[in-house]
Amino acid sequence: MSRAVSEVVSPSSNEGEPASWARRLVGNQQFMLFVVFVAIFAFFTFNDSVFASVSEIGNNITDFSTLVLLAVGETFVIATGGIDLSVGGTSGFAGVVGAIAMEHLAPHGEWVVLGVGTLVCLGVGIGIGLINAVLMHYARLVPFVATLVTMGAAEGMSLVLTGGAPVGSNFGAITLTEPKISVFSYPDIIIILITVVAGLYLHYSKFGRYTFAIGSNSFAVRAVGVNVRRHLTWVYVLSGALAGLTGMFIYMRLGSGAPSAGVGTELVAIAAVVIGGARLTGGSAQLSGTVLGAMILTIVSSGLIIMNVSPNFNQVAVAILIALAATFQALRKGSRADV
Amino acid sequence: MKRDQVRSSSGRRTRFAGAKAVLSGALAVSSLALISVGSATAASASAKKITVAFVVGAEADPFFISMNAGAQAEATKLGVNLIWQGNPSQYSPSTQIPIVQQVISQLQSSKPSALVLGPTDPKALQPYVNQAIKAGIPTFNVDSSVANLKKVVSFVTGNNAQGGAAAADALATAMGYKAGKKYNVAVGMTSPTATTNVLRFQGFKAEVAKKYPGIKIVAEAYSQSSPTTANSNIQGWLTKYSQGSSTALNGIFAIDGTNAEGAASALQAAGLACSATSCGSGKVALVGYDAYNTNVALLQQGIFAALIAQDPAKEGMLSVLNAYNFLTHHKVKGIKHLITLPNVTLTPKSPAALLTKYTYQTA
Repeated sequence: MSRAVSEVVSPSSNEGEPASWARRLVGNQQFMLFVVFVAIFAFFTFNDSVFASVSEIGNNITDFSTLVLLAVGETFVIATGGIDLSVGGTSGFAGVVGAIAMEHLAPHGEWVVLGVGTLVCLGVGIGIGLINAVLMHYARLVPFVATLVTMGAAEGMSLVLTGGAPVGSNFGAITLTEPKISVFSYPDIIIILITVVAGLYLHYSKFGRYTFAIGSNSFAVRAVGVNVRRHLTWVYVLSGALAGLTGMFIYMRLGSGAPSAGVGTELVAIAAVVIGGARLTGGSAQLSGTVLGAMILTIVSSGLIIMNVSPNFNQVAVAILIALAATFQALRKGSRADV
Repeated sequence: MKRDQVRSSSGRRTRFAGAKAVLSGALAVSSLALISVGSATAASASAKKITVAFVVGAEADPFFISMNAGAQAEATKLGVNLIWQGNPSQYSPSTQIPIVQQVISQLQSSKPSALVLGPTDPKALQPYVNQAIKAGIPTFNVDSSVANLKKVVSFVTGNNAQGGAAAADALATAMGYKAGKKYNVAVGMTSPTATTNVLRFQGFKAEVAKKYPGIKIVAEAYSQSSPTTANSNIQGWLTKYSQGSSTALNGIFAIDGTNAEGAASALQAAGLACSATSCGSGKVALVGYDAYNTNVALLQQGIFAALIAQDPAKEGMLSVLNAYNFLTHHKVKGIKHLITLPNVTLTPKSPAALLTKYTYQTA
């Protein structure tokens, strides 16, 4: 997964051949992902109608919220041709630090506790994002190694701080993750809003254009006078910040800060981005694809639970989805630049 | 009774990403560096003072922290030099082996001495146990064991099968089990290969088959060591086996720490958790494993109907005592080869002193 140093910019051909609507739809990764999502959803519902029940949809949205922010941050990073392995560890570490802070704040009333806790989690995430940037720019580590280092450090520090056991027990926080508006809880809505804003930012702002451009050809971007280092710093800080917020969300779900909560989730987030059609070499990604990828991964794992299938199949199912998505991408004729 | 790579109680050591191997190497180096610092008490190094070294799996786990406390108390009482080593967080032979090697050479230079090992893998650690014995260092096992126990003086461990059976009894009591009625129960595990999980589940199933024909185990799922995954799994069950339906869920056995945490929060979110005063129909009884302090707090609120606790402090204490007796009397006589400590059932009604005694300590 190491980053190709001299990635050649793919010629942005404007799909010269006259294609029928049907062919264009089939060639559209987002549309195909949506079809796959509907098919999987229908399959699970056919198997057990409980899957389409309001409360199961609520469960799925909670699971989706736990994953999607990590995947959104990862989309920005992967668009630049990088990788952020630290998001899982960061979310766990942020949740633990936040939980410790919130335990000390307990006498101050619930909203103060949760508000400060959110800021602490956000701060921890931003801090780790900055450390990633420093390791890359000053210690000259490639993103894979830099974020591998912070992943290990964050996971280790979570254990050191907690002595291995979960911290705190906050029933009030748990109740906040119950559905309030239809099947959505308040935190779910905030997370969905963040996702929408991030998507607009990636695809319609100058920041987003630079993000893709750096992934396509960072030398060219530097040549036209963009501060690539600073831009990458922001991208990793954003990824860290979103991981920090995920840590807060996990804290609210569990009512406690769990040192092992984020372990391994970076791989699920990366899977969502890859299924969503992003190129790991950078320059191409679709946030809508990432969201669909996260939706598919979410319903696959919860559907297998409802079906009472051995969860070991979950990993196999995810592997197959990634393989299909990647193959589909490779087979697409004349891959367009998504800038 | 040996513990698997995946030490279930919290499963924090489970790692599947290959990338982690790189890290564990780095961690092994760092723990080696720590060895020289050690925790050996430097006080009064009289020539005949006995030295006992423990090498455990993952030092930072409250389970081992409690074991350390028990061992330290006994060592102080008997005037034994205690060395305590282990990787902070990784429960794996690749990090444990270099530590064992270092400790063996340390023990050779400070005889009379003994090694107490909680091997992270029964086969991988066997050669090092043989090496220690060959070097004239009597060797003991604690919590988990090597494959061939013949030359190991004594093995002290918790009884997971008995713990699983105790969980079945506690769950039946919490659900108000009556013969002739039907009860649906789900079991949350860490992974299909964690031996502690397997033994506990076997003990649970055997007890159910023997005493509670009305209990049906309707679902099992794995948390893969993540409390968030455990929470998702249990949310799914609560929807599928919803209250009011003919297949309503009556009870959950959370077989390890991650499932205990995930189940407690899922039940609270769904409003299905029992309280200290009542656990009637329409609620789901929860029995958990391992007395982490957050779990004990939830037990006191009644959200857990019972917790099955191991006794790591006693495992540590007995191991030091056995080593001391062996080195002072130079014979195996009077020391049992296998000591299995029963797991204890804690309930909201357990006296505070008992709860305090069994709650795992943190650093």
